[in-house]
Amino acid sequence: MTTGGPPLLRGTGLAKIYGNLVALDDTDFSVDPGEVRALIGSNGAGKSTLIKILTGAVMPTRGSVEISGEIAPLGDPSEMIRRGVACIYQHSNLAPAMSALDNIYLGRQPTRRFGFVDTRRQRLKAEELLAHHGIDIDLDARVGTLPTVKQKEVEILKALALDARVILMDEPTGWLAGADVVRLHDTIRMLKARGVGIVYISHVLDEIFAVCDTVTIMRDGRVVAESAVAEIDRPRLVHLMVGEKLARESADAALHQRRPRGTGAVRLSARGLGKSGVFADVSFDLHAGEIFCLTGLIGSRRTELVRTLFGSDRFDSGMLEIDGRRVAPRTPLDGMSLGIGFVPEDRHREGLMLDMNVTENLAMATLGRHCRGPFLSRSGMVRAGRKAIEDLSVQPRDGSKVVRLLSGGNQQKVLVGKWLSRSPRILILDEPTVGVDVGAKAEIYAILRREREQGAAILIVSSDLEEVMTVADRIGVMVSGRLAAVHDAGTAAMADIVREIGGGSA
Amino acid sequence: MSERGLSLPAALSGHVVQNALPVAVAVIIAIFALTEPAFLSTDNLVGIARQVAIIGIMAVCMTFVIMTGGVDLSVGPVLALAGLAAFYSLDAGFPLPVVILAGLSVGAVVGLANGLIVAFLQLPPIIVTLAMLSMVRGTALIVGGPEQHLIRNEPGYSFIGTGSMMGLPVSVYIFAAVAVFMILVQRRTPLGLLVAAIGDNERAARLSGHRTRLTKTLVYVICGLGAALAGIIQSSQVHTALATYGPFGTELDVIAAVVLGGTSIMGGNGSIARTLLGVFFLGILNNGMNILNVPIDIQLIAKGAIIVAALAIAARRG
Repeated sequence: MTTGGPPLLRGTGLAKIYGNLVALDDTDFSVDPGEVRALIGSNGAGKSTLIKILTGAVMPTRGSVEISGEIAPLGDPSEMIRRGVACIYQHSNLAPAMSALDNIYLGRQPTRRFGFVDTRRQRLKAEELLAHHGIDIDLDARVGTLPTVKQKEVEILKALALDARVILMDEPTGWLAGADVVRLHDTIRMLKARGVGIVYISHVLDEIFAVCDTVTIMRDGRVVAESAVAEIDRPRLVHLMVGEKLARESADAALHQRRPRGTGAVRLSARGLGKSGVFADVSFDLHAGEIFCLTGLIGSRRTELVRTLFGSDRFDSGMLEIDGRRVAPRTPLDGMSLGIGFVPEDRHREGLMLDMNVTENLAMATLGRHCRGPFLSRSGMVRAGRKAIEDLSVQPRDGSKVVRLLSGGNQQKVLVGKWLSRSPRILILDEPTVGVDVGAKAEIYAILRREREQGAAILIVSSDLEEVMTVADRIGVMVSGRLAAVHDAGTAAMADIVREIGGGSA
Repeated sequence: MSERGLSLPAALSGHVVQNALPVAVAVIIAIFALTEPAFLSTDNLVGIARQVAIIGIMAVCMTFVIMTGGVDLSVGPVLALAGLAAFYSLDAGFPLPVVILAGLSVGAVVGLANGLIVAFLQLPPIIVTLAMLSMVRGTALIVGGPEQHLIRNEPGYSFIGTGSMMGLPVSVYIFAAVAVFMILVQRRTPLGLLVAAIGDNERAARLSGHRTRLTKTLVYVICGLGAALAGIIQSSQVHTALATYGPFGTELDVIAAVVLGGTSIMGGNGSIARTLLGVFFLGILNNGMNILNVPIDIQLIAKGAIIVAALAIAARRG
């Protein structure tokens, strides 16, 4: 990997102190040309601070940054971009109504006299770029109509058009389906072959092993280990990332006793459920005291299915029974009165009031319980909130904190807590750990298992097979709006499930 | 420059910005009081309270609408039509409670229409209420015609706008009652929390089992009721009902007071107590400029500039 010359990007002795909080503590970090370096660690480990220093968004308290051996000015984002450091964030920074071409050169189009955009030269430059990096994109397509993986490629091209030599990617696969992840990785390999340095941040360990050369592991604001990916294995990685105690707990959890069919009683029974043009003929039983995972590709209509169980959408054929009674929930309120809790897929858009505080968010599904006559008892809310924060170990332990300021994992705990406060008999969770770090994932699994022990029937939609194999008692595979197979997790082979997810052909 | 060196002044300025409105109110009071001592006379202060009561009631009742991410531009003509409804009920010889109910029902009906269209047809509030502004004004002109309708020999009705108790105008008591009631609703009932939740994330509120569309309808009804109540007070105060009362610009004063109070025009955060500060800020500004004999054209320009400046300071809070 190393070419003998100075590293493309090197930070030395970087530290960032906010008041009493040491966010980053004397950290060294470097990327060589053609190197794909993974940067991993739990939320709060210091990754974001490090990235923000490298992109110039944050001024470090101490330390220096060099680009190709040359000292770079600190805390100046436009200067870092000019020197070839680009960053691609988890959430898209593109203008969806504009073409791919316009997005790539947005704000710095080549111009002719009088400031008119030189569209011909812009197109030529873009085509050159596509050819050079072996990326294939319809330049005239409106970005909003492109699949997510193509949008990521447009962002990468945008970076390359700036002559980026180092690209920092912050959870680039957060919302990508399996096949698209592979595509993105191909693109990364292409960039690597052209000498671009990549910093790859992800919570998904499979991806680290698939595409990265080296890995830097951070914990508590420090680099705890650096290694070639080929020389480290998964348990060691998790161990370094989460520390002694959590590593042991998650290992225990993985070995937990599975409980197919739970305690036996059927809580929810679907027979031939369908919604025209969306899903059809879905039949399954959900038992008290079990965790049933629905897996499949993105677009296999799992979300649409579970929404009709809760009542935020409606099925139009088939039969749904809850506790032996035939029901057809028409609104979320109906679903809730049937004892269902629903943690939606996108916690920012559908789950949380981001500008309200933790206590208020936790109480959002139980306001009626906190009423004394027509009045809302704030002290009751605060008491209930304090207990939930303890039970779920939400960090920081402060109910007055605005939810937007929490890490992804803690936001998700608040969202789950909102529903647990209703003690739901049936709990449906849609992709409960997207963008959640390894430590918080383990905690959320522990919470779900605890609910299961107490007799809740839990239905999880998940595209993360690692998660499915860890947490499920039974596994359902959905393919194009149909429930293709149901397995007991104890006896199911991962390979079979992967084949079924792809519709049997993969 | 070190991060630590920056932190103290930054914290301080954050504090100032947070309290910009109370400070601004204090500053303009000081300026007016120093240049014209008559400003601080009891008569003048009572006068200010009386002048702001009408806009104040509307602003307090509009705050929830804006907190849900909406707006109601139709308050001006509702004020006029409610006055007319009261006048015709008086004319027909109905007792005072019926007269007041007739006036308020105008606000309730228009608010209900606004709310149902915004919440259930999911059309943009700015367009819906703009259209409603036009329709209600048209209705007021049909009902009232171009002439002034004098309200004479109605001591009960006139008491609402011109009476006084213990040295304070009745309208000020009404304003205070509405404000206290709405502050209580916001701080002490689930509705107050739900309104903020809808403005923050309507989908999430609905998925948490709340009847978001009914709530949104309700806040427009409250806003309409506030405008109608203001119309009753105004017609009582000037002993006249007229179809063109609540002219263009009324809604802007109301919205300005709410937004100056720190309620986000995008919805979510907001406070009725702070809306009151916004109301008094504008009221004192008007009154002070009148006392100092600032010409009306200059007043308009100054008021606009001060609103923008105040918002610019408030925006830096975010």
